[in-house]
Parts: sequence; structure tokens; C-alpha cells
Amino acid sequence: MAGENAIIIYFGDRVSSDLIEKISFYTQLLTDELAELIIDVVPSYTSLMVSYKLNLVNHDGFCQQVEQILLSKSVVSDSYSFKVIEIPVYYDVDVGLDLEDLLNYKNLSLAQFIEIHSSTKYLVYAIGFSPAFAFLGEVDERIRKPRLQNPRIKIPAGSVGIADNQTAVYPANSSGGWNIIGKTPMDLSLDNPENLTRFIVGDHVRFIPIDKQQYLSLGGLL
Amino acid sequence: MSFKVIKSGFLSLIEDYGRFGFAQYGLCQSGVADEHAYCWANHLLENHFNDAILEITFGGCELKALTDSFIVVTGADLDFKIDGKTQPLWQVISIKSGDTLTWSVAKNGMRTYLAVKGGFQTDQLFNSRSVTLREQIGLQLMEEDELLSHANSSKVVQHSIPSHFLPDYKPDLTLRLLPSYQFDQFDQQQKETFFNQRYAISGASDRTGCRLEGQRIQNIPSTMISEGISYGSVEITTQGLPIILLKDRPTIGGYPKIGTVFSLDLAKLAQNQSGSTVSFELIDIETAQKERRDFNTFFAIN
Repeated sequence: MAGENAIIIYFGDRVSSDLIEKISFYTQLLTDELAELIIDVVPSYTSLMVSYKLNLVNHDGFCQQVEQILLSKSVVSDSYSFKVIEIPVYYDVDVGLDLEDLLNYKNLSLAQFIEIHSSTKYLVYAIGFSPAFAFLGEVDERIRKPRLQNPRIKIPAGSVGIADNQTAVYPANSSGGWNIIGKTPMDLSLDNPENLTRFIVGDHVRFIPIDKQQYLSLGGLL
Repeated sequence: MSFKVIKSGFLSLIEDYGRFGFAQYGLCQSGVADEHAYCWANHLLENHFNDAILEITFGGCELKALTDSFIVVTGADLDFKIDGKTQPLWQVISIKSGDTLTWSVAKNGMRTYLAVKGGFQTDQLFNSRSVTLREQIGLQLMEEDELLSHANSSKVVQHSIPSHFLPDYKPDLTLRLLPSYQFDQFDQQQKETFFNQRYAISGASDRTGCRLEGQRIQNIPSTMISEGISYGSVEITTQGLPIILLKDRPTIGGYPKIGTVFSLDLAKLAQNQSGSTVSFELIDIETAQKERRDFNTFFAIN
């Protein structure tokens, strides 16, 4: 139980990409099958929270329906099509406020770092912290670094960060403690309302390295 | 055209019933803090349950009516006056173009609701007019703003609230808590600490969360895997103190939760200032659902 009109379903207790694929599959399935009853779904690393219309169904009734659906279908990975989103990134100390520290910390050249960060196809594990903020994993061990001890008051929109085994793009100006390693010229902010639904748990993200000139010509700010 | 803002006040926000269907994209629920006062305001005007109102916190607000209209003010007593004359709350009032509406200081409760016949017609974003400052969705009321409402000349019945529905905003509340989330993972001693004390509401509380101060619960694990957090869920921070998560909470969070406060008790909590106290007692899911369903039915909330 998560509240008077909400339940939370746990699918496991360890974070893994397999578990995310399972959770995202069942999120879609429940949303389809119980569309009339469901208000909101919040998939996250190991769980799925679902809120429902208690005018139409009570706690026990809803749990029973959910259980039936979960038991009726096992994961068929291609039954829902999740997207691959490409995000151009300018990796440079100009915009990567913590890039130099991270390179020193890991004893890497910029070229090595870019190769490692951009060669992984990342999975969206969760969305939260702020709207359209997608927690992406899993970051290669060679470029992992813990969060900053003192979070920054202002991180510019479009900044790309690393925190341990996760990476993310800040869609809007915000405070935060991630190591900033570059910036995308893409507008992911809610100034364009369509950006809200750009990511969903289960999608993949690929970062495409771009140089300064490309960054500026795509509208990037220094 | 309906009102011109002369003084914006401490914090005055356009809100409605909330923003639903987008939590999976990280968008928070938002909406009014006190659903009881909000629903009565719309109900008395025979508005739709989701019509937008102005939520005025602590007062300091002054509006000038630019057209004749019908309004209702509910919630906290913030010394509401029209042209300097004290006005009743919880009933339909007819106002004339040129009238000046003022809310000065909080006398009882802290959030008042101004509803206008037909609702305020501000821009909708993601199916809601609710302003969410934390997510940079909309802006708080500013001087010189003009608040539009539906021009509505239809006959309005001068309803007022039956007196037995009038809330009594007490400084000391007992909140009913559903045993949810990690309730079973708290041990006996931790639960005793939680249920056997009156917590003080911290001044650091806002629309995102109500922070409580008191005796700390010992041995809280530092972090857990982030998961969806519901309206009213009670996080216990690493320091062992509760935060009750409210309408502007993020969609996911990583502290253990000892339970979830029943929504209609959160409406009362919305009127309690820092320094007042709360304690907790358990409620079962059947009781909570019945009480909320009755409320929804009465106000035609679907």
C-alpha cells in the first residue's frame, strides 16, 4: 500500500537493466488494461507505484485486478517499442564545470573520457527529481565519480552530469550535486511542453559527441 | 476582465484540483493545499470541482474588482474585507466593479481561498491551471496582474455553508496514518517514538513538505532505492525526523516511509502554522476509502 488510493508493487530488491525492462513492460501493460481505473503510474528502479480512482474500485478490488494482469502475461520484450533518443553533447571544460576534476581523478585524457561516456547505450531507469529528468545507467566504472560534497545552487539547463553509476541531462536550470561533464544544445526544458514526454522508463539514450562549432551552430550557449 | 492585483501578498497562487496523468514524466501533482476549503468554495458557487481559485497564504493581498461578479472566500480567516468592511467567509458574496478586496493578517489558519463564479481563466499547462513554483510552472501573483474569470451573468443562488460543516482550525492536530510503504520495517521502539509524541511543525515547511521537529527516531538507514511517493506519505530522514510530503512533492524519493496521512487530515494540516503540533494515530484502509469516497461524491469529484 502507498496511500488511500495508491499501491506500490516491488519487482525485486536489486537495481538491474533486466528488472527495468520488466517494470517498464508491466507499466505499459497495466496502463493499457486498467486505463479507466488508473490515475498515475510511477515506475522507478525496483518498483511501480500506481494511483487509482477510488470512486470506481476499492483497495482489495484493485489489487486483485492488478495481480491477475501481472500473472497473466510474462515479459515479451518487443511487445512495447521503447525509443532510442540521441542527444548531442559538447564535452569540454568550457561547459563541463567538473570535467577537469573528473579527468584528473580518473587519470584520463579528454578523448578517452568522451569515448567511454558516448559509447554506452544508456537505459532510462527512473524519471524524477524534476520533470523530464531521466536517470540513465549504467555509467562505465572508469568514469564514475560520487556526487559533489556541496551541491551547486545553479546548474544551467542542458548540463550533462555523472553521479556514481548514473548520468543525466538537467532539462532546466536547477540546483544539484552531479559532476557536470558537458552540455547539450538541445532544448529539453518545459518551455517546449512536448519535452515533458520525451523520455519514459525503458527508453534508451545515446550521447553523440559534437565539437564547439557544431555546439554553437545548434544554438548552444557558452 | 475581473480583478486587478494591487498587492500580491506573501504567497498567492492560482491552483486547481491538481495535475494528473504526468507523474511518470516527473511532473508533480500540485493543486490546492486545503481540499476541504477549496471544494466548499467551488461548491457554494456551483462551479465545477476542478475550477481554479486563488490560494492566498498569510495575507497581505489586495485586489480591485474590475467587473461585477460573485465570489466565495473560504479557509483561513485572514481578516477579509471589502472596502474596509469585514466580510463573511463560506458564503456567496456579490461584488461590484470598483470594490477593493483585502486580506491582511492570519487570525485563524493560514491559507484562504478566493473562488469566483466560473473559475479563474488562467493558462492551462498539462491539463491544469495549478502553479508549481518548484517546477517553474506558472508564476506567483504579481502586482498589476489581471485575473480573468468567465463573464457570467447567470443567476447565482446565495449559498452558504451549513454550520456543522464549518471547520475548526485547531493548533494541535492528530493525523490519521495508513500503515503503508516500509511501515513493517520500522521496529517497535521506532514506532513508539513516532506515535508517542507530539511533533512541532517546523518553519521550513512549504507546499512540498511539512517538516516536523521533535524527538528523533534512532537507527534510520541512510538511503534506500528511490521509489514513487504518494500524497501524504511520511518520510523519516536520516536524522530521524518526519517530513509529510504534500502537493508539490517530487514524484520519487529515497527515504524510508512509515506511512501515509489520510488526505482529508492533510487539508486541516494545510491551515497549521509553524509552532503548532501534530501527533499520529493509525487508520485502516476501509475507513479512509469510505470517508474519501463520501467526500468525492458530495463534491462531484470524479
